[in-house]
Amino acid sequence: MASLYNVGKALRGKSLASRESLSSNVAGWGFLAPFLVIYFALLLYPILQAVVMGFYDLDLLVISDRTWIGFDNYVRMFWGTDMAWTAQNMADWRLAGLLLLVPIGLSMRSRRLGIVEGSLSAVLVIAIFGLAMGFAPTSEGRWFDSQFWLSFGNTVLFVLLSTPLIVGFGLLLAMALHRPGKWTGVLRTLFFAPFVLSVSVLTLIWAIMLNPQLGLVGTFFESLGLEPISWLTSPFWAMPAVVVATLWWTVGFNIVLFLAGLQDIDKSLYEAAEIDGAGRWGRFRFITIPGLSRTTLLVTVLQVIASFQIFGQVYIMTRGGPNGATRVSIQHIYESGFRDLELGYASAMSVFLFVVMVFFSAVQFRMVRSRD
Amino acid sequence: MSNLMIHRSSQRIRPKQLKSIIFLSLMSLAAAIWMIPLIWMFSLSLSSNEALKSDTTSIVPVDFTLENLVGVLEGGQTGQWLLNSVVVTGFTTLGTLLLAAMAGYAFARIPFAGRKIVYPLVLAGLMVPREAMFVPLFLMFAEAELHNTYEALILPRIALPLGVFIMTQFMSAIPSEIEEAARVDGASRWGVFWRIMLPMSAPALTALGIFTYILTWNDFLWPLVSATQREMFTITTGLASLQGNFAQATELGSLMARGVFASVPLIVIFLIFQKHLVRGISLGSGNK
Repeated sequence: MASLYNVGKALRGKSLASRESLSSNVAGWGFLAPFLVIYFALLLYPILQAVVMGFYDLDLLVISDRTWIGFDNYVRMFWGTDMAWTAQNMADWRLAGLLLLVPIGLSMRSRRLGIVEGSLSAVLVIAIFGLAMGFAPTSEGRWFDSQFWLSFGNTVLFVLLSTPLIVGFGLLLAMALHRPGKWTGVLRTLFFAPFVLSVSVLTLIWAIMLNPQLGLVGTFFESLGLEPISWLTSPFWAMPAVVVATLWWTVGFNIVLFLAGLQDIDKSLYEAAEIDGAGRWGRFRFITIPGLSRTTLLVTVLQVIASFQIFGQVYIMTRGGPNGATRVSIQHIYESGFRDLELGYASAMSVFLFVVMVFFSAVQFRMVRSRD
Repeated sequence: MSNLMIHRSSQRIRPKQLKSIIFLSLMSLAAAIWMIPLIWMFSLSLSSNEALKSDTTSIVPVDFTLENLVGVLEGGQTGQWLLNSVVVTGFTTLGTLLLAAMAGYAFARIPFAGRKIVYPLVLAGLMVPREAMFVPLFLMFAEAELHNTYEALILPRIALPLGVFIMTQFMSAIPSEIEEAARVDGASRWGVFWRIMLPMSAPALTALGIFTYILTWNDFLWPLVSATQREMFTITTGLASLQGNFAQATELGSLMARGVFASVPLIVIFLIFQKHLVRGISLGSGNK
């Protein structure tokens, strides 16, 4: 590469430009090659592979023996016996989902969303929440795989509970810690510290923390004169308990990203606003929030992607129990593939989860871009 | 804070300073509560198993002993698991840094054909859920008969799109005069990259390095399916395997001691580099 460049320089003729660009191409692709090879082979190609494997019946023990079964894996995920459509099935979830039509309509009116894009999203929302979710087995029938819906529902619940909480707490703590001084630095370090623990240390601590007899939480409740709750074995409390443990574990990561975002906001804006008589809330609303929009997007997208992939916490602490109350999608995929040995079905479910996650991220990116 | 101290000695505390002191005290209290679970783990690991049978709710060690910590090194496979984690995490971090820096240099500095097409494609990788795609990855490594090897634990983790993004952003902001001067002096591209760009990217490399180190050390699902032989466990999966049977209450101290061993390498690395963490990222996301 060096010699090519030097020859090009020595010639100083007409061909210098073309030699220079040849050298740039060789060097550019050369520097990129190691990353690209692994990126395509081990990050992108597996997605393709998952799509293909989703159409096969594939046993973990005899990998070479595979049978093409078309969409059977997907039918097994989404369908059941004696299916019928009723307006009442999952009525509250579906009505909540249909409320998405309001922001879509508003964005179209204010032209933040194009006609085509807006109508397509509206049709999609109606198709999913208005129609598709109305199908369910009647009293004689059953889902082919009720565990699939159970675990997906729990995953969505975890995403809905954990995302606002962990992003919100991250923002609040970052704002509180966004001031100079040695002691604030120490506080930042302390709040970030749990993030360095591995998931099995997290569960080690929290499984016993939350144990009504052994743990500190139970003792604290007793000292208040309350009956200690058996958090991880209660179908109602198990998921919130996992959310709290996850908040403690990961909020430090979001604090760091928000702190980075806060550092980038021009300080003179605050001074100008103060002179103009803006109060604390006004400065937060009109300077901090817009100034952090990109950081918030990055944090939220990363948080949603991480939350959808929740696995370790529940798998080690509750194994998905009690009674499936904390069973999540990745656990279902893992057990279908590696306990029940059905890799084809596990792949089809990975593809479904992948599509849902990409959809969520794309919507978030889109929302912020149209706001700018 | 240090200003505040000086002022305080020379004049009366003004309301604003008082507010600041109250605020910092409240935040310190919150941080102390935040630390309780961690302190508790250390405390239990320093208590004797016998004493823990009657009392587990103390945040200072009961019946202080080093037995549990020594026991981790003597018996069982915890030492081997720690070694596995160190090897896998070390090579993954070095590999990630090298690949991301090289790709970042290409995107930031070399005007090659196709750059405008490949870069968005790499950024799209930010949305790929690495965890969720473990089934096809498992099959690929099974066909290559590479499971239960270090390669299987390292290779799928060293192409990190977020890393390329951070390095590209950072290297774009380095003034190009220095590079041009070196090129005129006859330095090759590799020479420029290795001797000029890499050293100048130290803040971003440090931040990225810490993150890769933490994430790899804590990787759970992939080692769980790929390294299934006990001697190939990492400390993260190994520790999880010990939590399976919850008759563990009798061995609580020893279990917590293993948790301490699994955490200390990360806590040390974090304490050494934590300043660079915020700085490196702030630079990375600062010029989007």
